[in-house]
Amino acid sequence: MDNQNRELSVVGKPIPKLDAAQKAMGRAEYIQDIKLPGMLYGKILYSKFANANIIKIDTSKAKALDGVHAVLTGEDIPKKMKMGFIKDNPPIKKDRVSSFRDEVAAVAATSLDIAKKALDLIEIEYEELKGIFDPEKAMEKDSPLVHAHLKSNVLKMPWNIHYGDVEKAEKESDFVVEDRFTTTWVTHCCMGTSGAIALFDASDNLTIHTNTQIPSLAQKDFLESLKAMGLENKRVRVIKPIIGGGFGSKLDTYAYEHISILLAHKCKKPVKIVFDRVEEFTATSTRQPTVIYIKQGCDKNGKLTFRDMKMVLDNGAHTSWGATTPSVMLMPISSLYRVENVKYNAKCVYTNNTYSQAMRGYGNPQATFAIESSMDMLAEKAGIDRIEFRKINKNQSGDETPQGLKITSCGLEECIDAVKKELKFDNNNEKGVGTGIASLIHVGGGARIYGSDGCGAILKMDDYGKVDIFTGGTDMGQGLDNITAQIVAEELGLLAEDINVVHSDSDVCPWDVGAHASRSTFVAGNAALGAAKKVKKKIQEFASKILDAPAKELEFKDRNVFLPGDPEKSIPIGKLLRKAHFSPNGTMLMAENFYDPDNRNMGKELKGNMSMTYSFGAHGVKVKVDEETGKVEVLEYVAAHDVGRAINPLLLEGQVYGGVVMGLGYALTEEVMHKDGKNMNANFRDYKLFTAKDAVKIKAPVIETIDKDGPFGAKGIGEPGCVPTAPAVANAVYDAVGVRIKDLPITPEKVLAALKEKKGE
Amino acid sequence: MKEFKYLSPTNIEEAISFYGQHSETSKFVAGGTDVIVKVKEGWMEPDFLISLKKIKELSELHKNEATKELSIGALVTHATLEKSLMIQNEYPIIYDAVSNIGSLQVRNVGTIGGNLMNAVPSADGAIPLIALDGVALLHGPDGERSVEVKDLFVKPYVTVLKPGEILKKITIPPQDANVGSAYIKFGRRAAMELPLIGIGVLLTLDDDLETCTKARIVLGVAAPTPMRAFEAEKSLVGQKINKEILIKAGHLAADESKVRDSVRGKAWHRKEMIRVQVRRMGLKCLDIIKNSLEEK
Amino acid sequence: MTTKIAFILNGDRISYEIKDHWTLSHLLREEMGLIGTKEGCGNGECGACTVIVDKLAVNSCLYLAIDIDDTIVETIEGLASTDGTLHPLQQSFVDNGGIQCGFCSPGMIMSSKALLDENPDADREEIKHALAGNICRCTGYIQIFESVEAAKELAVENKGGENG
Repeated sequence: MDNQNRELSVVGKPIPKLDAAQKAMGRAEYIQDIKLPGMLYGKILYSKFANANIIKIDTSKAKALDGVHAVLTGEDIPKKMKMGFIKDNPPIKKDRVSSFRDEVAAVAATSLDIAKKALDLIEIEYEELKGIFDPEKAMEKDSPLVHAHLKSNVLKMPWNIHYGDVEKAEKESDFVVEDRFTTTWVTHCCMGTSGAIALFDASDNLTIHTNTQIPSLAQKDFLESLKAMGLENKRVRVIKPIIGGGFGSKLDTYAYEHISILLAHKCKKPVKIVFDRVEEFTATSTRQPTVIYIKQGCDKNGKLTFRDMKMVLDNGAHTSWGATTPSVMLMPISSLYRVENVKYNAKCVYTNNTYSQAMRGYGNPQATFAIESSMDMLAEKAGIDRIEFRKINKNQSGDETPQGLKITSCGLEECIDAVKKELKFDNNNEKGVGTGIASLIHVGGGARIYGSDGCGAILKMDDYGKVDIFTGGTDMGQGLDNITAQIVAEELGLLAEDINVVHSDSDVCPWDVGAHASRSTFVAGNAALGAAKKVKKKIQEFASKILDAPAKELEFKDRNVFLPGDPEKSIPIGKLLRKAHFSPNGTMLMAENFYDPDNRNMGKELKGNMSMTYSFGAHGVKVKVDEETGKVEVLEYVAAHDVGRAINPLLLEGQVYGGVVMGLGYALTEEVMHKDGKNMNANFRDYKLFTAKDAVKIKAPVIETIDKDGPFGAKGIGEPGCVPTAPAVANAVYDAVGVRIKDLPITPEKVLAALKEKKGE
Repeated sequence: MKEFKYLSPTNIEEAISFYGQHSETSKFVAGGTDVIVKVKEGWMEPDFLISLKKIKELSELHKNEATKELSIGALVTHATLEKSLMIQNEYPIIYDAVSNIGSLQVRNVGTIGGNLMNAVPSADGAIPLIALDGVALLHGPDGERSVEVKDLFVKPYVTVLKPGEILKKITIPPQDANVGSAYIKFGRRAAMELPLIGIGVLLTLDDDLETCTKARIVLGVAAPTPMRAFEAEKSLVGQKINKEILIKAGHLAADESKVRDSVRGKAWHRKEMIRVQVRRMGLKCLDIIKNSLEEK
Repeated sequence: MTTKIAFILNGDRISYEIKDHWTLSHLLREEMGLIGTKEGCGNGECGACTVIVDKLAVNSCLYLAIDIDDTIVETIEGLASTDGTLHPLQQSFVDNGGIQCGFCSPGMIMSSKALLDENPDADREEIKHALAGNICRCTGYIQIFESVEAAKELAVENKGGENG
């Protein structure tokens, strides 16, 4: 691709985020800030029990309260209105509640205070039932059922694969390690809480303002809801306000969106539902917790022979994307390092706990925690240096993994070397200090989870050389707007500030499958690049007539179109566009491009090249463990990533730093504490996010392998930062004090208990 | 939030009189960082909030250079204490405790008196004052009375304050020579923390700079209210202080404590932290004494 | 239960009739339409609502509106000059990657301003201590610290420009 080798003016530059000034001035409008004329406020009532029958609901007092416009219960939900990919989750529950976060009623009122009062007036009689909170117990044959109409608590999922012959490989291995790892619930903690405003026009077409990462798929979900409500062939317009954080939390539609739609339709007024912080903790979905059994082996030369993993996944009471995390976990399981024989079985089990959906990494952090911890254990057993062990088994360009992933650009070894260089792994004589390393593989060129992995872009140029690009992509702070602008500006010889990126309105923006799988740079970037190339060709054709020069030789730079080497043959792009427009048979410069990467859906066999390219990385950490208190202090952190090309180094650093700190929280301090299904720490005081004082110094070497398919060679970076953090820390703790913590987070209490056990106390 | 009427008395008598007029449904409020949260969440439903903010005498922080007595007005904010060089240099245990309460935003508004009256088991504000043998001056409809800070707390969220009484100030008696004090809040992260355990230690040494003449070991989150580990303290007085003695004191303090399991931590871990931190804070006190003598 | 208060807001003298139970955050956002100040948790645990009252950074979600009577209040809306020039802190946060989703940014910038107004030479440790009450989920804080440090330089340059 000619893009890869030429000198770049805009791509590769640390251009500040395009909407940062607006945000710095307090002018950005988030869902919290939007008020529409006549708007009502909605509020949701949640279950008082983890498992109970609803005997009776009396909403009469609530309905009678002044200012209340509507009260809904499970009776008001159309039968076919269900959420989740297996449609097992109505937005308000009827007859039976199966978790504390189950919605049991909702109100719309003229003020938030009145709505809250109305909730207090709803009288519900429950018959409490015994709850089931342990997924391994819930799997047992005689376990009570979470959903009475099902035969078992185990979901029918296809997570059962076997590549090669694991049993044979195990027999032939010289060294084998086996262990059990567990990871618990953590949650996104977006600073801007969830919310939506729904409103209907006179013809019952819906407009919904919502914090979504999947505007097109959400549109589809809402169309289905309208159909269930008896509103067929209506339009749905999805408008995104400025989003206060995503991290995967908005990759499914939520009850509050569907409820706001029902309330808006009933009241014939816009209805706004915005979560308070307690709701954000308790009623949004978490990262998928796991129970992982892993067995790995190698020969005496350190070559991996097999990897056998079994998982039990707590599905909670209803199903969302958590149940599909195995499809992504399969990626590191089968393809992190070269290993020919792979077996993986994952069971998703209903319980009366909360349910999970997507969260940055989508299962990869959980699987990598087990794999990379186990790799260190295997290296030790085999008597091989842990870095050397990884290099022996490193992925390489040209590999096709057992799962069918085709490795094109691969900078894994360079990443490991970068970590080795920055973080001195030599034996530290300092007591309690240790180092750890862990690598990652992640999709970097889209991810064909659905039938389509595409994104559309429409590019329009005005008479002054300014561009509007309408993209299906989503910016939630990660910088999709900049990436798009820089790619288009580079192609058309403009400056980033000349590009207006519009992604907020489904009426105007083309289809995109969603801001997930770190795909925005690769897919939305390529979509925009393709549109820019089409427009460039049109401009070249017109300019060739004006400048009397061969179209293909004309270049674009600094807002000019010119023939290199001939200073006479040059014209400012704005002037050129006006000429094109204001002439007989005038023309306008517009192009559309739908980019659907050449990757494959894995199908029932779960085999196939699901991404066009893969991102790699290696993290190294030096910790100091206080052996008397168990506290782990991070002294140094290095996060090296193979990003293909850094389109914007400033924003890339932001993704790496942010991902690493989120990963360190996952490793050390964060957990949603449940007691019998109830969230016990639904606040920032007891859910321990890293504060500014906890922040660590992070070095972020960037490895550019210039991928042949990425826009200007770029791959994705949104998620990798938080994928190998936990095992890197766990490995460092082991190196420091000889105890291995196999359950996240690695709290002082767990470390101290392990140290005492080691001492025989 | 529930609606209420806000009253701003400018002197104590007026404040008490306001309370007297609406005693069933009034609450005093200082900085508001605890009270406002409680009203928002529905734990308190006052018709009247009587703000003490405009009562100037309650905001005075003053060390009497003649008597060496320190007077901290109830409305002195945590930030004021944190920024005071006098507190940092002469009462390091107060500095250690207040400089990590909540966040700077909370410390700018939250008061030492409000913190005491909130009577939370973690009691970052109470522990240093107990260690320094602080005395609280209460003023009510029946006049004034003094209560040692260590005796202020009945149970979580309940103090000995009678209806209509206001905490005016805390007086710290003159400190002995050769004194060192330190406080640690142990938790999972570096800031915005409610502690797993809070430990304050104060040691005074005799002129030989080895023998302990006074010891205070005060624990937070180790019992329903902040507690002194009296047995541990006794084990130090009259002894030449060294690491071994402090280790023993730590064990005694852990045994005396009434720690339990909670969302924030397990009992066994809290006990272990008491053992470790009493020793560490004790050694820190010795360092402080040594350094202050070197400075002289 | 209303009270008339008078205060200075971003340099302007304001008189307002408020309800006693309103928080400062409610007054700013819901009554005065100043949506720049955000609410992230409502009980003083995240700092998104930070504004400055009489030079002190406070959580406006826990500060009663009635308590700003006779005070000087600064919010994010007042930082840029009337000609639109960004305050050195705003410019620096923009230039140095200190803003991603932006929800924490107004509070973060106001906390930073309160710090630098009092201590223009604040070092990295002092910056961390001052910002410990402002949670950010996007940036990992590093570029925020770099933004505050760069703002110190910008402020010095600007001052030089004024005097020169």
